Amino acid sequence: MRKRNLRGLVMTRREFIRKLIKGSSAILVGTLWLVKKASPRRFVRALRVKKYPGHLKSLKDIWKEAKWSG
Amino acid sequence: MKVQCELCPKSCLIEPGQSGECRVRINIDGVLRTVVYGFPCSVSPYDPVEKKPLFHFLPGTKILSIATVGCNLHCKNCQNWEISQANPEESTAAYLPPESLVQLAKEHHYQSIAYTYTDPVIFYEYTYDCAKLARDAGIRNVLVTAGYINQEPWKRLLEYVDAANIDLKFISDDLYREVCSGTLKPVQEALVTAKATNVLVEVTNLIIPTLNDKPEQIGELARWVKTNLGGETPMHFSRFFPRYKMRNLPPTSLKTLDTAHDIAISEGLNYVYIGNILSKEGQNTYCPECKKLLIERSGYTILQNRLKEGRCPECEREIYGVW
Repeated sequence: MRKRNLRGLVMTRREFIRKLIKGSSAILVGTLWLVKKASPRRFVRALRVKKYPGHLKSLKDIWKEAKWSG
Repeated sequence: MKVQCELCPKSCLIEPGQSGECRVRINIDGVLRTVVYGFPCSVSPYDPVEKKPLFHFLPGTKILSIATVGCNLHCKNCQNWEISQANPEESTAAYLPPESLVQLAKEHHYQSIAYTYTDPVIFYEYTYDCAKLARDAGIRNVLVTAGYINQEPWKRLLEYVDAANIDLKFISDDLYREVCSGTLKPVQEALVTAKATNVLVEVTNLIIPTLNDKPEQIGELARWVKTNLGGETPMHFSRFFPRYKMRNLPPTSLKTLDTAHDIAISEGLNYVYIGNILSKEGQNTYCPECKKLLIERSGYTILQNRLKEGRCPECEREIYGVW
């Protein structure tokens, strides 16, 4: 096995490949996270409720000329 | 678990048991729900289409108009604040599922349904389902909206919409933030998207004294409409009345509205109207080519309609609209 020099500037081919894979994976994961965050979330329909939380009237009570603008 | 509503640009992150800014989209047990689906607070059978205002869409017809409570904007000058800023818990509504609404429209021979008064954006799912059924039944759909909506749901909804009156309240982002708690860009994008589809688009701008009544502001707005939506887009300048949290300002004068009309015409818009006020000529449609009177109106009433198959009877120029 080849010895490293004192400054750690030399590494085996296997070590180099391992570091390369680790570094690339980290960059890939980071990029995917950024893309996910940056891309707009898909719109999801809201579900309906069975019961109206306010007061309910019959249709004929609100079937009338509106005083509202628009 | 919190849920995020992606309907409008506010993108509310909603805590369990809480609602978004619109008050009607609620997180129940980690699921986003709409409490107004099928529960309109107003159903008006008598509105003329001109009241929306739409002047280039089936003139002289009645339009079945519905609304639920709630709004995603909080305009200090809101004319309908009693329903737009109401909590559903304190409101009154009737049960009217989409099938029943369309059935009613058919029985009463309406040509179109308007989703209006508050903002159809916040009762999106109800509007969408009604519009889809109405389209299948041969009934047209009209939106009256501030256009504060994200692009994805907007494009989906527009597939079933025939006409829209979209508010362009200000041409300044600061004023949108200050007066309406909104922003300008999403509204501009909604306008451009709607115009790019087959939807008939008319634009309304409420002129509020001291806020957006300066000639340069009106000119900038008209230029934006001309450049981005085209000169054929009908433009309505509407009169402000002091309401809700803006009671300190006077109503807009007829002179200011007339000036706005003239500025917009000089900027190249072909159909410019003034509204919320009786005016001798401000509600009439003229041919952009030969300048002859095409449709004479007094308020919401059609006095005469001289159009022939959507064209000027004098020079035969095609007039933008659904006639």
